[in-house]
Amino acid sequence: MNIIEIRNLSKIYDEKTVPVYALNGVDLAFKEGEFTCIVGPSGSGKTTMLNMLGGLDSPSAGGIRIGDTDITSLRSRQLIDFRLRNIGFVFQSFNLIPVLTAKENVEFIMQMQGIKKDQRDKRTMELLNAVGLADKVNTRPGKLSGGQQQRVAVARALASKPRFILADEPTANLDSKSAENLLEIMEKLNREENITFIFSTHDARVVAKARRVVTLEDGRIVADVSKN
Amino acid sequence: MIFLIAFKNIWRNKARSLIVITAVTLGLTGGLIAVAVMTGLVEQKVRSVINTEISHLQIHSPSYLKNSEPRFVIHEPEKVMQFISQIPGVKSVCERTLLTGMAASPNSAAGVRILGVDPPREKTVTNLYSSIPDSSGGWFTGSRKNQVVIGHKLAEKLKVRLKSKIVLRFQGTDGNLYEAAFSITGIFGTASSVFDETSVFVKKTDLDVITGGESGIHEIAVMMKDISSIPLIQPQLKRSLPGCDVQNWIEIKPEMGLLTSVIAVEVYVILGIILFALAFGIVNTMLMIVFERTRELGMLMAVGMSKARVFNMIMLETVFLTFIGGVTGMALGAGLIAFLGHHGIDLSVVSKGLSAYGVDTKIYPIITKAFYINLTIMILSTGVLSAIMPARKALKLKPVEAIRIE
Repeated sequence: MNIIEIRNLSKIYDEKTVPVYALNGVDLAFKEGEFTCIVGPSGSGKTTMLNMLGGLDSPSAGGIRIGDTDITSLRSRQLIDFRLRNIGFVFQSFNLIPVLTAKENVEFIMQMQGIKKDQRDKRTMELLNAVGLADKVNTRPGKLSGGQQQRVAVARALASKPRFILADEPTANLDSKSAENLLEIMEKLNREENITFIFSTHDARVVAKARRVVTLEDGRIVADVSKN
Repeated sequence: MIFLIAFKNIWRNKARSLIVITAVTLGLTGGLIAVAVMTGLVEQKVRSVINTEISHLQIHSPSYLKNSEPRFVIHEPEKVMQFISQIPGVKSVCERTLLTGMAASPNSAAGVRILGVDPPREKTVTNLYSSIPDSSGGWFTGSRKNQVVIGHKLAEKLKVRLKSKIVLRFQGTDGNLYEAAFSITGIFGTASSVFDETSVFVKKTDLDVITGGESGIHEIAVMMKDISSIPLIQPQLKRSLPGCDVQNWIEIKPEMGLLTSVIAVEVYVILGIILFALAFGIVNTMLMIVFERTRELGMLMAVGMSKARVFNMIMLETVFLTFIGGVTGMALGAGLIAFLGHHGIDLSVVSKGLSAYGVDTKIYPIITKAFYINLTIMILSTGVLSAIMPARKALKLKPVEAIRIE
């Protein structure tokens, strides 16, 4: 079953002067439980694609349907709430809140969702346990390694029980061991809990783990390969 | 959680936050002390005028207030005084004969206001007796006739000393001119040089003897147990004494009432200006904070933090920062004011100016509890208003751009 459907999606920058097609008539769909990589050279439209899927940017043409919702028709306030409840984000540079502990970084997403304290505490511990950081709950990001910070970011992305997780170059700032470790955790979460991951990456290790690889070039899909 | 994040965010850059907090603290402490000194100055001035000159209420013949001629006396003053004394809330009452005349010494002469008083009763209403230093005699000592108590300024002008003789010349209630020699038995020194130069106190009984009859009562002075009871008792007296004019201290000395009203507004203006100036520093700091945290704010909006929450977070940070400085400033200011209010600030270097103004050289700063409450509201308002610009700046960020800023 498709959880994301992209139809004829285009994003044109500098439309009035020299138009640049970041995305040019893309049609794509993602099924629940996929572990997909979007790859391509710099400027191919990977990041733009992820921004569109995350509702962070609006398309110039076309539409994106997530479940039953056409997110391109949502107003700003509705879109913020939609992101909170449906999409998990993992950023290249972790983007944790430095003044909060690992536990608090994961928990505050649930608090914004209005989840009760006891449920929040339980789920936070489950998630930190799942990413192997049960012993770092009260540690602030500044005291964690890059790999550990990104694992907290994954736990935070999962906190809201999203339909899918968008990970923009999640291993770019990690050493190979940390990257490998992170990928194993995400793969395990995908395999055991059927969580959908969509990556944008240059990292061959991520590509190697992915079960589907979508290749973009000049804003168009030039290859869409699924591995068995 | 927004509360927690906002509070923790303040301490990210401790040095910067401490600079802002210190600026607010010092600004408010300085402002509070300035305000307390001004308030204390006015309070002392008003208290001095009430206690040494005018008391809380004065009763005169309506004609006397229009034209201060000796013939316009209060009729049946004993009955009036007896009636007033019985009113609950009244502390003490005394009567005065008021005459305008000349005081002359062998060296000089000056126009004076002669107050014929009952010395023991006058002591219950005014505290002029306490303004006579031990070395300058006392408040009508013994039963000797024709004693006079004058101010030190008048003594200087007439070039007289304790036990010197002066001649007082005045017009009696019958319209005739009288004169008599008086012996100086006390020289007072109040905070008001004008009062010290123009007021002369004698026994009313001596005036009666000199004029060969009843010298008349022109003024009845009333002191309350509590100054706040004036609005209750004054109308009651006005109703009960239709042949008399009853004035409160503000009506007697409107400039005192004006001074009190002006200072009540001025203290807020001063603190308002200080807080307004501090607000610019706070806004600048918060704008820097928003600029530095652009990527983080972008992330928060990307993961679903609503604009209202972002606004509230910036607002809370600003209010915390302002309030910590504000509370510290108020605590420091209150401590200093309590200390200075107890020990006083010695301003004897400007004693001449203060004396002309009618204020003692030692100022006791004072601030009311209500002022602290209002100041707290002003500080919170400053925090909220200072937050608007940085918070709006944060709201204008686009998450897609903000999360990529290095």
